[in-house]
Amino acid sequence: MAVNHVEARPYRPDWKRGRVAGWVTTVDHKRIGLLYIATTLVFFLAGGVLALLMRAQLATPNEQFITKESYNELFTMHGVTMIFLVVVPIFAGFANFLVPLMIGARDMAFPRLNALSYWLFLFGGIVLYSSWFSTGGAPDVGWTIYPPNSVFAGGTGVDLLILSLHILSISSLLGAINLIVTIHRMRAPGMTWMRLPLFVWSIEVYAAMLVVVLPALSAGLTLLLLDRKADTHFFLPAEGGNALLYQHVFWFFGHPEVYIMILPAMGIISEILPVFARKPIFGYAAMVLALVAIGFFSLLVWAHHMFTVGLSRPLLGFFMVASMVIAIPTGIKIFNWLATTWRGNLIFDTPMLYALGFVGVFTIGGLSGIFLAAFPFDWQVHDSYFVVAHLHYVLFGGSMFGIFAGLHYWWPKLFGRLLDERLGKLSFWLVLAGFNLTFFPQHMLGMMGMPRRIYTYGQGGAWEWYNLASTIGAGVMGVGIAVIALNVIVTTRRGRRAGGDPWRGDTLEWYTTSPPPPENFDRPLPYISSARPLRDLRRRIQESGAG
Amino acid sequence: MPAAAAALTVLALALASAALAGNGGLAPPDAESPNAEGINQTYYFILAFTGVIFVLVEGLLLLFVFRFRRGRRSREAEGPQIRGNTRLELIWTLLPVLILVAIGGFVFYKLPGIQNVPSANAQGGRLDVTVEGHRYYWEYRYPNGVVAVDRMRAPVGQNVQLTLVAPVDDVIHSWWIPALGGKLDTIPGQTNRTWFRARRSGTFVGQCAEFCGIQHAAMLAAVEVMPREEFEQWLASEERAQRTGSSMLGADTWAGACAKCHGQNAQGGIGPTLVGNGAFRDREALEAIVRQGQGEMPPIGQTWDDRQVDALYRYVRREFGSGGGTGGG
Ligand code: HEC
Ligand SMILES: [Cu+2]
Repeated sequence: MAVNHVEARPYRPDWKRGRVAGWVTTVDHKRIGLLYIATTLVFFLAGGVLALLMRAQLATPNEQFITKESYNELFTMHGVTMIFLVVVPIFAGFANFLVPLMIGARDMAFPRLNALSYWLFLFGGIVLYSSWFSTGGAPDVGWTIYPPNSVFAGGTGVDLLILSLHILSISSLLGAINLIVTIHRMRAPGMTWMRLPLFVWSIEVYAAMLVVVLPALSAGLTLLLLDRKADTHFFLPAEGGNALLYQHVFWFFGHPEVYIMILPAMGIISEILPVFARKPIFGYAAMVLALVAIGFFSLLVWAHHMFTVGLSRPLLGFFMVASMVIAIPTGIKIFNWLATTWRGNLIFDTPMLYALGFVGVFTIGGLSGIFLAAFPFDWQVHDSYFVVAHLHYVLFGGSMFGIFAGLHYWWPKLFGRLLDERLGKLSFWLVLAGFNLTFFPQHMLGMMGMPRRIYTYGQGGAWEWYNLASTIGAGVMGVGIAVIALNVIVTTRRGRRAGGDPWRGDTLEWYTTSPPPPENFDRPLPYISSARPLRDLRRRIQESGAG
Repeated sequence: MPAAAAALTVLALALASAALAGNGGLAPPDAESPNAEGINQTYYFILAFTGVIFVLVEGLLLLFVFRFRRGRRSREAEGPQIRGNTRLELIWTLLPVLILVAIGGFVFYKLPGIQNVPSANAQGGRLDVTVEGHRYYWEYRYPNGVVAVDRMRAPVGQNVQLTLVAPVDDVIHSWWIPALGGKLDTIPGQTNRTWFRARRSGTFVGQCAEFCGIQHAAMLAAVEVMPREEFEQWLASEERAQRTGSSMLGADTWAGACAKCHGQNAQGGIGPTLVGNGAFRDREALEAIVRQGQGEMPPIGQTWDDRQVDALYRYVRREFGSGGGTGGG
């Protein structure tokens, strides 16, 4: 890129150079990425504490550790936090930091818009958490906010929730547009679509889906707010409204949202497995196609969240088939990942452990999804702990394992120091064991009749044992996550220096220093002739050295 | 490390599968009605395929992890640079298609037996019961006018059609007795139908499955299935008792509809204590409050007939009408 660097660097007045002011006024994509990641990790710890409190309450039958009022607030805030303040925005953070680096750009397309996205995100999070202090406390209607219950809910918690989701939607929408423009317009010379790193592909689909579905959420929430505050009755049957209308609108957003939360994790896994197997990804083109196919079909399956509302048989059939169709590209991805490890030189550093763990546990979440798509079985387990298990296998076993893999993998690029491998491995085994102990028994609880969102239960016997196991598992997982936090703390000062490319990576972010300089690359980029430019470069150097 | 991990995993899996094989583990609870039975068969059909895929994927994963670990190779050493294999990729695209077609086909094959409500003149006749989901109790209405709360009685071996509704001012609930079939929502302004035919006598429990507010967890349901003659007898005598005002309907209504917020002894809870409350000595006042609600109290008796209000009034006047404070009206 023949750009004049001196001119391109914006002028920064003195007051913007201070330590705090520097961060507050930054428009650098890496700093914004770090702000995103740091903020989401704080919310992750908060959401995790809420989950542990719930598990403590459910450890034994008729437990009185937490009141029913608080319990309903806990599961609402836990869900909203993990979805809207952790998984979706942490991918925005990864994407912010990595996409420009991976495509060889100097920054995002619209740096100021980028900063606006982040500050709106933080603001939305603060608005949500301020609801704990509002009249009536935090919202207590579940993250799905179904009317009529959510219209009748007293206090201002639900209103603050709606306001917060509106703010977060605007933030995500701006971020998504920014990412799309960046990926379309700013790729390094030679980087065609079929040479794009799979993580960048996953972000392209993630962003496109956000643009398509967020308006539906905004519309649904606006009508809900009007029902609550302006005496309209879009969703109130007593006045001629329709309660199910909301569910259709919500899940038109809500189901794609699930894939918005898993596709970037899949992208991360597709970056990590080849590097630590010392092989190319198996079936690159199929992986791209599968990403796009999952994104597209996820727009057609929303009513599988509504199998128990009394849909007509053709609709039941359509939404079952459409949901099952998604299993096909998902299966392709799983088998292609497995094939990537086949005959590799597998190096079990922490990122690789989490990536392999992802393949192992995400498979379970995918398979339980097939049960749920078969609507007669869904009639049994819908809104039960079976669904809670399924969604956590997908969102924790999937998204969070992907996020942990990505954090360990890119940490040295973010901060210039490696995380400790021993602590990393310890955390992996604790999280893996704790995760399965927490969520596997919940499949059985669901089949035995335990609905989700109940603050207590009276049954002893197997109910009691499975719930206790689940609570113990949650504790183990909590310790595992504490070990990750410990790892971050001890390596901040004393971690091993990373150098530009500690893992022998394949993609452009490893071509620059760790952390990268303000405009990312201090030396000219190589011409991109494959999806693994760094490996190409290493080989060229080797060949010219040998010749 | 990987060897130890693999051994541990195998051990854990072995232990888990031993513990899980039976009922209450990976086997769903026994079905006590043909529709629940059809659902269980669907479950096992899917489990057969997904079980194989599970073992295949996890087995290959462990195998590859063990077989292709770095061991003493250098970190730099590369594996063979295999970029894909069209034949293999086609196989693992098409095979799942076939499996899914099989599952979808099986679902549609079983569907009529699960979902279709047997017609009224099917063998053995049919009992029609209306199930009304309220915050936070179930109200059942029998064809002869008998009303019951939370606990439904039903005959063994007879088709029972359930018409699921909710009052227009209420919220969405979901009817679910696992042993007697899948769940179906009660939605204000909408009517849904489901059914069961219980195989044996006994009490089958379940609870509301759609989050409906503060006492969602207390919205329990039970179906007491009894021999047919016994059921007919109960239904007839209950009809007489409710007509003459000597039934337990008042007590049942209190326990199901009021106690979850005001406490079984009216001592208070989510709602205030009601011992000695004026409304318990003034039928009009009581009727107004249960039909229209007041503040945070929903209009939970909106759909009751006068007999049920009377029954409740008799009960609360006797139990809590005197004593404590004097209350309002
Ligand atoms: C969802 C919980 C809930 C249920 C169920 C409920 N109540 Fe209430 N009830 C309340 C609350 C809360 C209040 C206080 C209302 C207010 O803000 O004035 C109340 C108030 C009352 C009062 C008026 C007390 C006073 O002196 O002002 C009466 C009488 C009463 N309830 C009777 C009943 C009866 C009878 C039932 C059963 C048919 C019932 N309630 C069911 C929550 C409930
Ligand atoms: Cu309910």
